[in-house]
Amino acid sequence: MCMAVPSRIIAIDQGVATVEAFGTLRTTSLMLLGDEVAVGDYVILGAGGNFAAEKVEPDVAAEALAYLADVLASGLA
Amino acid sequence: MSHLESGLSVALHVADGAVAEVQIRSTRLVQASRLLAGRTPPQVATILPTVYALCGTAQALAGIAAMEAALGLVPSPAQRMARRVLLRVESVTEHAQGILRDWPALLDEPPDLASIKPLRPMVTAAKRALYPHGDWARPGGGRLTIDHGALIEQMRLMTTLAAHLFDGSPEDWAEDPAALQAWMRRGEGVAARLLDRVGRSDLAGFGRSAPHLMPDAGPRDLESRLTADASGAYVARPDSGGQVLETNALSRQSAHPLVADLMTRHGTGLAPRLLARLVEIVEALRELEDLVQDLCDDSGTAAEPSGSGSGLGMVDAARGLLAHRVEIEEGVVSRYQILAPTEWNFHPEGPLRAGLLGAEAGPDLDWRARLLVAALDPCVACRIEVLDHA
Repeated sequence: MCMAVPSRIIAIDQGVATVEAFGTLRTTSLMLLGDEVAVGDYVILGAGGNFAAEKVEPDVAAEALAYLADVLASGLA
Repeated sequence: MSHLESGLSVALHVADGAVAEVQIRSTRLVQASRLLAGRTPPQVATILPTVYALCGTAQALAGIAAMEAALGLVPSPAQRMARRVLLRVESVTEHAQGILRDWPALLDEPPDLASIKPLRPMVTAAKRALYPHGDWARPGGGRLTIDHGALIEQMRLMTTLAAHLFDGSPEDWAEDPAALQAWMRRGEGVAARLLDRVGRSDLAGFGRSAPHLMPDAGPRDLESRLTADASGAYVARPDSGGQVLETNALSRQSAHPLVADLMTRHGTGLAPRLLARLVEIVEALRELEDLVQDLCDDSGTAAEPSGSGSGLGMVDAARGLLAHRVEIEEGVVSRYQILAPTEWNFHPEGPLRAGLLGAEAGPDLDWRARLLVAALDPCVACRIEVLDHA
């Protein structure tokens, strides 16, 4: 499946965010994002990860990350 | 995080000047939905649209349909109509995104990022215009409180989007094959240019395969096959009575006069498959115009879902038929299965393989294969490799 991982923004520099999920850092463009975001917010990345696609509320992100942690732990990923 | 990324790879083995074998490999996490077990229906309804973000609305709506069927909940007609609006808005934006992002690359043009940016916010805005409390994915139905002004604004934005995609009103060509040809030749807009290029490159029928199209009601044996699928083999490589079906805009729009006309000459080839996606945008906008007139408020349900049972939910996602099946025991999910359209269309024995097998080798084989992949529209990245065994 095209599974999107809610990723926490840890820095923003000129429209490019550094995001973290499961200990991995990556950079993603905020250019296609409709919502305003700040450090600490969660976003999901579009296919390929080059662009952030959507802001996610913290409680929703927590629920999704708990599920994705189960997927990683299960070895199905 | 990289472990959660997945994709398709297609290897074309060329021998004696033609494609002799097509190998399709998938690393899609088709079994991951099992891990939804142990959660409650509202938790599942929260996770689905976030984790399966690409077609998150369709995923959540298939999920709540399955959970409602399992628990004997019957959503009101108003709720069903509002969900249909959300599904169709997502479908239009997904098709538009593919056309504006993926089709330019096939013409060596840059993607139209400025036009892509407003697409996802359209889906979010439609949800907000119908369910201001954010509970659109609530099993049984959320608090449907329609903001007609906001909805009319979304319809206006989508009509503007269509005018941009088609460089004018699609009504100008949507009924008449001659007008369609003229629109393609004019080549204004990436959609017309790609169809015109396919026609002029003599590729309108490229990739055609025996038309094993998904019936509107889904495969007859869907629920029994899912129920029996303990190993997960069926959701990874589905079939119906031994036949791999094609499910997408073509299978849904094959009776549309323009699509049917192209199919008489080009079968299920590139031109009919690409055109079917355009026709689907036009049809969705027409349906939305009607639905928006008839929407009305509904209080939904405040009750926590409880009980036991099993249920199947099916929706027409942009890329094809999406099916979810759930088993619930005393209010907790005990089994969860998802069968997504990409598993049909990119099945190792499916329409992509049939369409590429026997294709003439040549320097543009990679481009032709990319065209067919774009027409069949996978929901993950797809890598193509040509291996010449000459």
